[in-house]
Amino acid sequence: MAKLPLEGIRVVELTTGAAGPTVARVLCEFGAEVIRCETRLRGDGHRGEDPKLWNKKPDFMKLQRGKKSFTVNMQTEKGRKLVYELVKISDVLVENFGLGILEKWGLNWPDLKELNPKIILIRVKGMGCSGPHAADLTYGPNVGNTMGTTYLWNYPGATTATAEPRTQHPDFMGGVTGAFGVVLALMERKKTGRGQWIDSAQQEIGASILGPKYLEYSVNKREPRPEGNRSLIAAPYGPYPCKGNDRWCVIAVYTEDEWERFAGLLEKSGMKRDVKFATHFQRVRHKDEMDKWVASWTKQHDPYEVMEMVQGVDVCAAVVQDVEDQFKNDKQYAATGYLVRMNEPEAGEMVTENVPVRLSETPGRVRGFAPLMGEHTHEIARNLLGLSEEEIKKLDEEKVFY
Amino acid sequence: MEKTEGKGPLSGYRVLDLAGPLGLHCTKLLADMGADVVKIESPKGDEERNIPPFKDDVPHPEKSLYFLHFNTNKRGVTLDIEKPDGKAIFLELVRKADVVLETARPGTMESSGIGYQALRAQNPALVYAAITPFGQAGPWRNYKANDMAGIALGNLLYLAGEPGEPPLQPPGEIAYGMASTYGAFGIAVALYHRLESNKGQYIDVSMHECAGHIAGYFIPTYGYTGEKPARASRKGEETDLYDPYRTKNGYARIFIIPVEQWRRLVDWMGRPPSISGPEFEKMAYRRKHPDIVVGAIAEFCSRFTKEELYDEGQKRRIAVTPINTAGEFMNMPQTKERGIFVDMEHPAVGEYKQFGVVPRLMDTPGRIYRPAPLLGEHNDEIYRGELGMSADDLVALRAEGVI
Repeated sequence: MAKLPLEGIRVVELTTGAAGPTVARVLCEFGAEVIRCETRLRGDGHRGEDPKLWNKKPDFMKLQRGKKSFTVNMQTEKGRKLVYELVKISDVLVENFGLGILEKWGLNWPDLKELNPKIILIRVKGMGCSGPHAADLTYGPNVGNTMGTTYLWNYPGATTATAEPRTQHPDFMGGVTGAFGVVLALMERKKTGRGQWIDSAQQEIGASILGPKYLEYSVNKREPRPEGNRSLIAAPYGPYPCKGNDRWCVIAVYTEDEWERFAGLLEKSGMKRDVKFATHFQRVRHKDEMDKWVASWTKQHDPYEVMEMVQGVDVCAAVVQDVEDQFKNDKQYAATGYLVRMNEPEAGEMVTENVPVRLSETPGRVRGFAPLMGEHTHEIARNLLGLSEEEIKKLDEEKVFY
Repeated sequence: MEKTEGKGPLSGYRVLDLAGPLGLHCTKLLADMGADVVKIESPKGDEERNIPPFKDDVPHPEKSLYFLHFNTNKRGVTLDIEKPDGKAIFLELVRKADVVLETARPGTMESSGIGYQALRAQNPALVYAAITPFGQAGPWRNYKANDMAGIALGNLLYLAGEPGEPPLQPPGEIAYGMASTYGAFGIAVALYHRLESNKGQYIDVSMHECAGHIAGYFIPTYGYTGEKPARASRKGEETDLYDPYRTKNGYARIFIIPVEQWRRLVDWMGRPPSISGPEFEKMAYRRKHPDIVVGAIAEFCSRFTKEELYDEGQKRRIAVTPINTAGEFMNMPQTKERGIFVDMEHPAVGEYKQFGVVPRLMDTPGRIYRPAPLLGEHNDEIYRGELGMSADDLVALRAEGVI
């Protein structure tokens, strides 16, 4: 197999949750050796509360695939010293605990830089490492709250708090953005020989794609409100109901040429075109009526039929897929091998998402399953830390390797 | 013109930006990190100049706030790359560039004679990235998809909104954002590799595959257990511990995983007997009894403002956050103290606050230093100043409709 571009880069991971692990996972796919420090004192949020299930969690697998697990009790001085030895021979430290934990462990930037001036530290925090709320505890579902996503993801005039799905969606773009920052710091290090630290604030990364909303506030002095599925530059626009229970297909018509082809398609199946929908301006004005007209056609068909027919006349259309559709009906995922099957040692077959960016010369890949709790502790102690079998046995007994 | 030197880790790199909305955030990430991003627009201007909102709600190609946000720090030229003279100028720019980013339908660049192979012949060290709705291969590669289509196929749209009503799009373009971020990461890896190999490469990003990563753990969970989530109602027929709670002035969320945080919350609430039993310390048990748990927390939250809950909850080491509007976010003490927004001025928009740089590299930080370009603003600077063309050349190219 081709040499991976980050081969030779060693990453130590002191994390919980998802955003920190995602930074290291993305680096791992491109060749970094990732050593995840964790402890049996308590399963990580994604290993879960029940030790019997620690090695069988699909969410953990998605976050940790391809990494090594080094179980070390950071509450012991010996444990911390072993991690100091590890960071001395590593290139990157990823952490996302609450502010103060790394400091308590003696791994704050000034200390870390002493141990290894070449290391790059990335601190992934909900609110960043400075300001009055730097120490906030946040998880994925908290991140969109403070900066407007949760509020704005709703129907116009809604009486509920939000229509945002119950997912951790901000964790993933945050993780990839963090990995981007790490690679830039690695580039810089090639020039200067020095490492640096990176302050990666989850809410700021999520907010970075909401820029136009903040400009509406700062330029037009107006608070943006939830807009639902509104668009002024495309009509028809949005999910249209299809045959079946809760089945939908998104359609978006942007240009007059697209409209001609789309309306022609509907006419072919016997629909009568209303003169009221002749121009984009008219279609936006008569949106409710036009939506009904389009829906009366889409309702006659399965959502994939709608998608294929509409794409057949070169207009944007996409089935609102649930996860079962992604497995069974998504021909693109099937053709490109997006759903990767792996055999986890204890859990059996699991499925995960492939790397969505393909580099022709130095491609990344899913490099293996998620580590069992403590799977690589002895191997790392022996090969990287140079400990003898006797020392290892003692550290096991003292529950330093725990 | 300000020099890009000393403005971040990518200073000294030149990026040619042919991207539409799908790739705007990608080149913005690069530009914010110091790359000299030259945005190449068609002579009549790119489509995103028509995307609302507009300053004072007046549609105008220089007043799109969407365009303003996503093109900060970029320089702008006009060029019709379909015309022979336009193509020749483009190839000359490619010879001096490090990165090209495009979002055209697969095959379009090749049929115009400026596909990857043609550009590589001019510049073997070129990093060429294409961000497209479905990537360069597979049965859907030529299909059209906007952001909503991306998250629809990615199983995020299906989960948003009330059951029975149409699924609901997010306020920002999450699929474009994820695809752009993966694009920027891929470009950074390719540039890192190039430092030693001196070789460029081709990068293929599929929005559809990027979108599949955003929805969380449903693909691995369904693949392992067959469980499939449904769209959840927020109207009270069913409740979840982690849905926002009503406060005196809006909503706040309390999200608890570690048992310590649960104990702290129960203490803060004055240990109400209904939820103080040891069985409630298990998350699985709490999830089985949302009526009891949600009822008690909801009553507690209704006594405070969201800011009171946020400040006191975080002080007590519990993951509480207020559900804010965009304006409330801009006015948060945290936002102000971190200087998240930068004061800028634009000839058509006037003074405005521009969202800053993510993430923050402490020794070589990126920064915001230039507003989005006016249409063709840097034609003279680049065509005359850097390519050595004459004033007469520019007049002739303009008459021909090339620039």
